[in-house]
Amino acid sequence: MTSRCILQTALLVYFCTTVLAMNYDLLQFQLSSSSVECQELLLQLNGTSKGCLKDRMNFKIPEEIKKSQQFQKEDIIWITLEMFGKTSDIFRRNLSSTGWNETIVEDLLATLHRQKEHLEGIMEEGNFTWDHRTLLHLKRYYLRIVQYLKAKKYSTCAWTIVQAEILRGFFFLDKLTGYLLN
Amino acid sequence: MLWSQHASPVRSLNLFLVVCISLVFGVLSSLPDLSDKSCTFKVTLRNFRVILSWELKNHSIVPDHYTLQYTVISRPDHVKIVEHCSNITASFCDLTDLWEVLPETYAVTVDGFRGNTTLVTCFIDFFLATHISLEPPEFDIADLMDHINVNVNFPPVIPKILRGEVLQFYLKLIIEEQSGGIVKKHNPTLNENVIGNFTYVIDKLLPNTNYCVSVYFKPRNLGAIHRSPVKCTLLQPAQETGSSESAKIGGIITMFFIAAVFISTIIILKRVGYICLRNDFPKVLNLYNLSAWVIPEMPPVEAVAFVEVIHVNRKKKVWNYNYDDESDSNDEAAAPVTSTGGYTRHGLMGGLLRPTSASLATCGDCLEPDPEEPDLSERDSEPLMTPGPCPGWSECTSGAYERGGKLLQDPLSEEDSSSTEEAGDKIIFNVNLSSVFVSALDDDSEVPPGLPSFPEETFDPDDSHQLETSFLAAHGEGTQPPSPTPSAECPWPEDVLSDKSDSSESDIDIGDGYIMR
Repeated sequence: MTSRCILQTALLVYFCTTVLAMNYDLLQFQLSSSSVECQELLLQLNGTSKGCLKDRMNFKIPEEIKKSQQFQKEDIIWITLEMFGKTSDIFRRNLSSTGWNETIVEDLLATLHRQKEHLEGIMEEGNFTWDHRTLLHLKRYYLRIVQYLKAKKYSTCAWTIVQAEILRGFFFLDKLTGYLLN
Repeated sequence: MLWSQHASPVRSLNLFLVVCISLVFGVLSSLPDLSDKSCTFKVTLRNFRVILSWELKNHSIVPDHYTLQYTVISRPDHVKIVEHCSNITASFCDLTDLWEVLPETYAVTVDGFRGNTTLVTCFIDFFLATHISLEPPEFDIADLMDHINVNVNFPPVIPKILRGEVLQFYLKLIIEEQSGGIVKKHNPTLNENVIGNFTYVIDKLLPNTNYCVSVYFKPRNLGAIHRSPVKCTLLQPAQETGSSESAKIGGIITMFFIAAVFISTIIILKRVGYICLRNDFPKVLNLYNLSAWVIPEMPPVEAVAFVEVIHVNRKKKVWNYNYDDESDSNDEAAAPVTSTGGYTRHGLMGGLLRPTSASLATCGDCLEPDPEEPDLSERDSEPLMTPGPCPGWSECTSGAYERGGKLLQDPLSEEDSSSTEEAGDKIIFNVNLSSVFVSALDDDSEVPPGLPSFPEETFDPDDSHQLETSFLAAHGEGTQPPSPTPSAECPWPEDVLSDKSDSSESDIDIGDGYIMR
């Protein structure tokens, strides 16, 4: 009887691990694809930094994001959710001065919103609780961007600088989600 | 994890949408040209070097030299003039040692001069990670019998822009193998510290087949893939395989030859007699019944009976039959010397001192003295001994019995030839008692099936003719008994037969059809 229970437990753990691994692989593919998609949408937005070099600012993306510190997979999900959510919040702001193609912006927002909802559903079902310094750094990082935009009154140059900064963020995010693979 | 159970089969539709949208965007969208109103730029990773090249749109403007300067967008750095790209005549610049960060937006300014006059100024800013064109690395192939070694040339020092995890993450090396319209992609994992030649083995290839190999880096985005020119090779025919097959055949033939020689040697030695290979081992050596061998059964207790040997002189007339003389036997007992023309038979009779088994009792029955014979009745009180077993004993062939039987047979045969020589009163038999054994065996199971039985009711001492007739009938009218065994070594059937044929009045029934005269 005991051996049967052990066997069943082992099989359960094995199958759960397998399903989990398969889902992480799938999730990585989803997040990476979304990240690349967002980068391409951002690149399609018109804009040049010529004449805007004076508006440059170092927003100080968290070093742990830049160096792709070894996070737990749940941490990566948290980071991704935060970055998608904050980026979406930024691009919902005043874009009137940019002259960007609104369709591209809407596509960008739709992609971000879809992935954000997907991750939020995962977090709720998994009852994730993560209070990490990286999350705080991320919140401050995006807060600096928003404050920058506000300070520059959502000017074209400010949006161009922010666009370049968001591109960097998606590149790091793409690399970070690679750790979801087993 | 609950989320994992929910996560994604449910979201597979989302995944499908993502892929579709990605493909649509990848196909429909092309990365913005790196150009401004005057110049077109191109940034390339060529042989692991970051090369920025430019071309003036207005070909009427021909600067004689260029100067390049750049800055980054992510921080408020100064614009840097690239020294080794200042006042250059070529329209490209190697920025490998200056651009150390791949995910960075670089703002580049190129000034075209003719003399000291600035003819053109071009400005471009681009996100390097997505705009860099990944040209394929140099490689060469080495074909062997069934595999190809693909040697990808990596620089002795990896540039800073590719250090860290960028090489593994960003530069996905793909080796494409093509043969007969079938394309197979290999995705080797690059080590972060890969330097020099990176060798990848494409194995399990078919010999005598043409293979073409191309190498490229797969970009992260859906940008264009730049494949290297294919390098083809025709794998050599499998000579080694053929030689190995012939070696196998030779080995098999050699093994058969060795086996034949060995078996022939064994057969020759067996026939010559040097070895004796037997399958039918004696029962004692039969070890197949291991349990019986390990725990041997106790041998049956052999009954040993002490016998006392008494020789009895009997003289019998053989030829002068007188069936009317009923007291012939009595005369023989009284006068051992026979009449003229007859012969004398000497019998050695014995009795068991202590019969212990039914067979011995039967044997005793065989020798039970006829109450009509006075000589035997006189010795009735003394145990009689029989030199041989009663009819049907298989021990007829044993040495001891053969010796005992001879005591009976030899005088008989001699009497047949010269009866007058044995016409004495007594004949002394020397019997070595130490070599005489009487085994107590069971019942009639030991009786050879070919031996005739002599039912008692067929014998009538007074009707010897009837006895003779019945006995002849049992033996097929006097022919040789079917069993050859007892006739040579156990003389009694023929003796009986001869006795029956010469049946006289002196015949005495001693039981079980045995006739004593």
